[in-house]
Amino acid sequence: MKADVQPRPQATAARELEVALYEVKRKIYPRAVSGWFAGWRWALVWATQLVFYGGPWLTWNGRQAVLFDIAERKFYLFGLVFWPQDIVYLTLLLIVSALSLFLFTAVAGRLWCGYACPQTVYTEIFLWIERTIEGDRNARMRLDREPWTARKVRLKAAKHGAWIAVALWTGFTFVGYFSPIRELGQAVLALSTGPWETFWILFYAFATYGNAGFMREQVCIYMCPYARFQSAMFDRDTLIITYDRARGEPRGPRSRHTDRKAAGLGDCVDCGVCVQVCPTGIDIRDGLQYQCIGCAACVDGCNQVMDRMGYPRGLIRYSTQNAMDLGLTRAQMLARVLRPRVLVYTALLAAIVVAAALGIALRVPLKVDVIRDRAALARETEDGRIENVYRLQIMNTAERPRTFEIAVAGQPTLELASPARVALGPTEVRAVAVRVRADGGLLGAGTHRIEFHVRATDDASVAVLEKSVFLVR
Amino acid sequence: MRRAILILWPSFVVGGAGEILFFTVFDPQELYLFGEPTDLPRIAVYTIGFFLCWAFAAASSAFTCFLARSAAEVNR
Repeated sequence: MKADVQPRPQATAARELEVALYEVKRKIYPRAVSGWFAGWRWALVWATQLVFYGGPWLTWNGRQAVLFDIAERKFYLFGLVFWPQDIVYLTLLLIVSALSLFLFTAVAGRLWCGYACPQTVYTEIFLWIERTIEGDRNARMRLDREPWTARKVRLKAAKHGAWIAVALWTGFTFVGYFSPIRELGQAVLALSTGPWETFWILFYAFATYGNAGFMREQVCIYMCPYARFQSAMFDRDTLIITYDRARGEPRGPRSRHTDRKAAGLGDCVDCGVCVQVCPTGIDIRDGLQYQCIGCAACVDGCNQVMDRMGYPRGLIRYSTQNAMDLGLTRAQMLARVLRPRVLVYTALLAAIVVAAALGIALRVPLKVDVIRDRAALARETEDGRIENVYRLQIMNTAERPRTFEIAVAGQPTLELASPARVALGPTEVRAVAVRVRADGGLLGAGTHRIEFHVRATDDASVAVLEKSVFLVR
Repeated sequence: MRRAILILWPSFVVGGAGEILFFTVFDPQELYLFGEPTDLPRIAVYTIGFFLCWAFAAASSAFTCFLARSAAEVNR
């Protein structure tokens, strides 16, 4: 909405509400663009999607390498197995992700949005399908204006068919991270997937189809919280996509041979390519806007036009506010990347990554929970001793079978009245009933602190100590 | 339409986060449904749990939207 006359604020507010509520969103037809940054975007599409689509097919230790087995409550990640008790690592992962986002954003703006966000990546893939079937921007706009001819029906059917195929494969892959994908694949081929799996495949496929095919930039503009708070991470030395106003203005069309100095024109030929290639449909020449996802399509588009005009590249480029205002050279601008904010983020990030890696490397592959049997607190045996019953939840978190030895200590005359050894399979969890006896007369009535020692028979370092109490009535 | 998205989308995100937190801490097989142990498979409980979380968050969003209407909108 561009208004030449300044309307009264109240009227503007009312109109904005009206626009927000009733305006049918103008469809954006991004024009294809090629260049250095488009190359990077495609490289990232390939890299992220090879990881995503390929990940669940990898095998490790004779099982799926990456499997979030929510049915068994175990997450497999190559050689590592995570249990619900390892939630601290999930927390650390979230902190690392957030800090990385802060760091990247402080250095070079919305790199995540422009290159790696699934919304961008799938939109890129869906746009490529659209372009391959329907043609580039102008052909697509013409096709949408045309009446429904046989050709249009054919093209639209082909496009949606291809979209749905990609979406279904994406949904299948997604569920394959939670349910072993090879068995899931066989079940899909035999049309015998369970109701919940079927639902989630279709749900994720529908979300992909809707988000990448239709919602596109609206997800970034209206739905993404990051777009709203990214400005908090920006400062005047953040690299952002910038239009060099001083060099570009006054903009205006001209022929290649016009002497722009004599004609009083800047370098911007006002061709509108930067707007046409923009996936969110903004005009970068109006300055930094929260709708800008930092994809640099306009940089590539403008550079091509500059080449054609014989002007230097970089009328739209990655630059910083300080570089623009203070006229910094490229080297001066890049030197400012190493500013306190960036160094602090980097140091924090490195510290947390190292701590998490150490924590994971030093994990003891055994967990024990002691639960007192509440039904029978303490009973007297035939020989006059006191017996307490406990339930030991023993988790062998290693991926090989192990035998564990249970011992009890902490008070005199304590002894186990149940088998002291228990053999567990790989990643097996077993609840073992443990009966402990002691001389009640010697201990006296009341509660007494005791300790359970559980130790692997093949490796003394795999040992856990759990505290509990022994009750004498 | 915009209002529906405003209600459903943030609640989807919050509901998802709530679901992950809840089921990381609680095993569905240790939950009781009306005093009976749940005999549904875990995936089923996760799915139902997710939609419950989403529904509750959406109800809260809807309530917020309802109360956020201006006096002019209410009087109309």
